[in-house]
Amino acid sequence: MAVNYEPQVFLFLSEILGIKIVDSEGRAIGKVLDLTGNIAEIYPPVLDILVRLEKDKKIVLLPWRRVAEVNGTLIFHTPQPEDFREPAPRSGELFLKDTLLDKQVVDTDGAKIRRVNDLQFLKVHRDLYLVHVDVGFHGLLRRVGLERSVAFLLRKLFDYTMTDQLISWKFVQPLFSPDLLRLTIAQNRLAHLHPADLADIIEDLNIHQRSAVFRSLDAETAAEILEETDPKIQVSLIQDMDTANASDIIEEMSLSEAADLLGDLPKDKAEGILREMEQDVADDVKELLAHPEEMAGGLMTTAFLSFTPDVTVAEAMETIRREAEDMDLIYYIYVLDGEEHILGVLSLRDLLIAKPETVLSDIMDKRLISVNIEEKKDQIADDFAKYGIMAMPVVDDDERLKGVILFKNLLEVVAPKLGK
Amino acid sequence: MLDTLSGIVRRVRQGFAGKKYWRSFGLFFALIGPGIITSNVDNDAGGITTYSLAGAEYGLGLLWTLIPITAALIIIQEMCARMGVVSGKGLSDLIRERFGARITFYLMIVLFLTNLGNTISEFAGVAASLEIFGISRTLSVPFSAAFVWWLVVKGNYKSVEKVFLFACVFYLSYIVSGFMGKPDWNAVGSSFLKPAIQLDKGFLTMAVGVIGTTIAPWMQFYLQSSVVDKGLKAEDYQYTRMDVIFGSIMVNVVAFFIILLCAITLFQNGVKIESAKDAAQALAPLAGEYCSWLFAFGLLNASLFAASILPISTSYTICEAFGWESSLNCKFLEAPQFYGLYSLMVFLGAGIILLPDMPLIGIMFYSQVINGAILPVILVFMLLLVNDRRIMGKYVNGLAMNILSWLTVAVLTILTLAMIIFMLI
Repeated sequence: MAVNYEPQVFLFLSEILGIKIVDSEGRAIGKVLDLTGNIAEIYPPVLDILVRLEKDKKIVLLPWRRVAEVNGTLIFHTPQPEDFREPAPRSGELFLKDTLLDKQVVDTDGAKIRRVNDLQFLKVHRDLYLVHVDVGFHGLLRRVGLERSVAFLLRKLFDYTMTDQLISWKFVQPLFSPDLLRLTIAQNRLAHLHPADLADIIEDLNIHQRSAVFRSLDAETAAEILEETDPKIQVSLIQDMDTANASDIIEEMSLSEAADLLGDLPKDKAEGILREMEQDVADDVKELLAHPEEMAGGLMTTAFLSFTPDVTVAEAMETIRREAEDMDLIYYIYVLDGEEHILGVLSLRDLLIAKPETVLSDIMDKRLISVNIEEKKDQIADDFAKYGIMAMPVVDDDERLKGVILFKNLLEVVAPKLGK
Repeated sequence: MLDTLSGIVRRVRQGFAGKKYWRSFGLFFALIGPGIITSNVDNDAGGITTYSLAGAEYGLGLLWTLIPITAALIIIQEMCARMGVVSGKGLSDLIRERFGARITFYLMIVLFLTNLGNTISEFAGVAASLEIFGISRTLSVPFSAAFVWWLVVKGNYKSVEKVFLFACVFYLSYIVSGFMGKPDWNAVGSSFLKPAIQLDKGFLTMAVGVIGTTIAPWMQFYLQSSVVDKGLKAEDYQYTRMDVIFGSIMVNVVAFFIILLCAITLFQNGVKIESAKDAAQALAPLAGEYCSWLFAFGLLNASLFAASILPISTSYTICEAFGWESSLNCKFLEAPQFYGLYSLMVFLGAGIILLPDMPLIGIMFYSQVINGAILPVILVFMLLLVNDRRIMGKYVNGLAMNILSWLTVAVLTILTLAMIIFMLI
């Protein structure tokens, strides 16, 4: 037939599902139920077609590479017996409609959870690659079958043309099942999100998706996420995990956050996790746990650096460089005498501009602000507001340094006062 | 720097959200679960009106229907709660994922219209109750619509919910009044023993209305979402089930006393309910001449309670199905569909009542009849979902449960069809 047929470059899944599949003579083979793709690739190529056969209604897989043409129907090269396969996907192969269409995915570019209205494929020669996920209203209308009438109305009434809202597949993380998350763990796209965004997304997910997503993350990312999540959700996430994994993650958290979280957990779970943790981290956390949460002792962290007065700037910098990764605070360092009384404080800036051979006691600031370990939250917040510092040393009744409170750990108390 | 900054913003938000959360989920909510809240919202303006009409027009004739209705309500709500706990997803979520975009689209339109009808009936309840105090509906309806909109969007709904819930002790006055009215308990007993069906338009419509108000479709969506939001796990399911069963029985005990009272006060004296004042007579044995005040207070509370939940829960349901941003934490422009749908429902719900000569009692009653007619459709979807092993795993319905629930669907469908046929001839 001499029809002006322009080859389509893009195809939607909704245009392929349900259409007839015929052989080159035009005899019906069956109906398309689903497509499978290899999701190990960045843009998954379509591998097989799930077909309900015309003659005996059996459901089988046929290889996509034997498709000659897509044009309202799928034209399949005369099928050979070896083309028919049991409908069981191979490893890395995924039923696209079943796992993606109408399901929720994470758009890691926009940091949002979206619902998939359609899948868009790019046709290169005879191969089909999954390139975009359609999350827009236009795609929804196409599925409903009202695309044309609504588009017509909008154009006539408002002179408005609908556009597709497509997300590139490389920014899409499926959420359908725990298996799927595990399958794509090598290229888990969630890890590219900022922890704060990912924490938001996790809070929006339901209880099953939440733990599935959380388990798919490495301990370091998981710890970052936990620090950003609501305390109630923190507890439910950790309670769903076994003690060994939970302790790996909690070790990666900052000391004060870890202590807060363990304080919220049921007692035996918390103790189990503490036993699994590295001894020195566990000891530090236990020390923090001993203090009530609303007092200075419960807010402080013990992961900071202190030096004796005779240390030089060069030596101090060397220590900072070595230890910084495990510290909650490096912007201030404290100078202590032999009995842990604070003599002075230096900022990282002081160290950077000082000559390397200078001794700390020569340049330290002796005008010190500190709070008692039993000081209340509100008072500490007032002090922060008054002195404009980033961290506050905490001392016991004998004026010995016990820890420091970071400004950010007090934000929920400070923030309401900021407006005033 | 960017790191710290977004961390800071995050934490501030968290501080606020966290506190609110704990306050509202304190002891109060430890005892009152989603099932009991749902059942209290269930006795809304439409509910009180429909039960009153049932008693006033048919005496004790419809009382027996409450037995099968209670059983059906327990079966249906239990399935919803179970689906919520096992799948962790809302009902519209599941419908979309299982049945695809097209069916979901049309179903959501039907649900929107049905729920709009219910919202109109809640504002009718506001208008009717405040007219007893002599406040004109041109004043009461816009004001209450603005109040509801503000409460949900800007205010702290969760803390006001406690006030609404507490005010539900009002329903006790029906129970007390019921005993004080000294009904003929023998007659009540025999009405259960000799259930009778009248095959005429009025009776069938009333039966569908009573079913539709007790087992309202939107309650199933609301209940399942509440269960999901609470993050309940399969291990704790037995408590949820108890909560749901208790709630379902509570609704019907209240319904029983409303019908009973209207039967002995209104039906026996041949009074027809033409305004809320007439329905208030049912409380006369308890409150005497103050009965209309008591009734007005109860109806107002019920109407405002449901008006605060219904539009917002409908918007959530629809946005969830289509994957639109839906959260009260978003700004208007971030979630236009969500706020748009919500505002449209409140605006239309209140606006339609303000049209001249709207029959308040009729609106409150017929919105419930529509509920009853839509119910079998929703039930079919629910049953297909709850029996899907890929969603429910080992928690699918058992054989007995399936027989009972498909039987319910069959009876409801026949009843609705019969009603429609009688309406047409």
